[in-house]
Amino acid sequence: MKREPCRDVSEEQVLAFVIGDMDPKSSLALAEHLGECRRCRDQATEYTSLLGGLQSCSAEEAIHWHQFETPFGAMNVAATDTGLSRVSWQQPDSETFVRHLASLYPERPAIHDTERLAQTERQIHEYFAGERSRFELPVDLTRLSGFEQDVLGCVQTIPFGEVVPYSEVARRIGSPKAARAVGNALNHNPVAIVVPCHRVVRADGSLGGYGGGISYKRRLLSLEGTPSLFSD
Amino acid sequence: MEGWVGRYGPELRRHLGRMTGNDDDAEDILQQVWVSAVEKPPDDGPGSNVRAWLYRVATNAALDSLARKRFSRRALQGIDPGAAAGDQQPPDAGFRGLDEATRARVREQCAKLPTKQREAVWLRWAEGLDYPTIAERLESSTESARANVHYGVKRLRESLLDIWEEEVER
Repeated sequence: MKREPCRDVSEEQVLAFVIGDMDPKSSLALAEHLGECRRCRDQATEYTSLLGGLQSCSAEEAIHWHQFETPFGAMNVAATDTGLSRVSWQQPDSETFVRHLASLYPERPAIHDTERLAQTERQIHEYFAGERSRFELPVDLTRLSGFEQDVLGCVQTIPFGEVVPYSEVARRIGSPKAARAVGNALNHNPVAIVVPCHRVVRADGSLGGYGGGISYKRRLLSLEGTPSLFSD
Repeated sequence: MEGWVGRYGPELRRHLGRMTGNDDDAEDILQQVWVSAVEKPPDDGPGSNVRAWLYRVATNAALDSLARKRFSRRALQGIDPGAAAGDQQPPDAGFRGLDEATRARVREQCAKLPTKQREAVWLRWAEGLDYPTIAERLESSTESARANVHYGVKRLRESLLDIWEEEVER
């Protein structure tokens, strides 16, 4: 259903009026026109409604993201109002990362925000510089299954410099036979490094897998000074 | 203020009647305009334009009222009686009366806008930042921030129109 455009006033002018970007004289003329012209009035009503909808959104309903340099290359991070929800160095360009965010969070506009993620950036820098052994950042794991949340919650308690076998994590969360499922859950860790899934290894001492690439797991463990008895 | 009521009242009442198509609504909105004029009086010094200010406030209030009527239709039909209460809220409550589904749709469509437009629109309207601050955040000029808000909002309306029209037909 396409409506004929108004002959006297452009859509841009209607929009400028509703947005409040019009000088007083033009805005007076436009206000009077809206009284006369049904077409423009409908358009202005639609704009008013959608801007009202946006205004009623709070800033926290977005997903905020940021990118910064680390020894692993460009690090992309994203957070919801609950906490950090994404840590990734697999997508070096931010456009790919943002597209990925959009598919994960279709209801949250992705907004670049260095300030909201400044703490995250600082703590990750400190970690790589060997000045931090514990992250103090809220994380948002709400997109994960209950089992995955249990696994990652358990992994958060493994201290810096220590490693624990998959089977031990399974035992700690009360599913002693689920070592393989633990491995899968760790593979889906959306906030690597901050939730230290790299500290989970095989019972025989070998490294096991790592979603971010096995060489990175080795680098993280060596950064933490974990005894290098873990070969592949 | 008394002077304005006498001087501009009749023409504003007519204007609001045309805007809303309803004399009662027009009268209610006109009363809100006088309240705004007392609470946040316009500059009436030399060179200022009180009439333009009054028209602007009145027209925006009428558009708010039209938008609320049109886009909380489902709430008024009683599907969501909680949301219908929004209609009785004072005018300055803005769009909190808008039903959650409509709000979520606006946000979803905003999420689909191209990056610059999405960020400019969101920072301006959801976060309430001014253009210079948005320009700083986007590392662009103030003009480009403003242009991105305009393009983004225009595009947002286009994508929402299809959804709205479907709903009206239903």
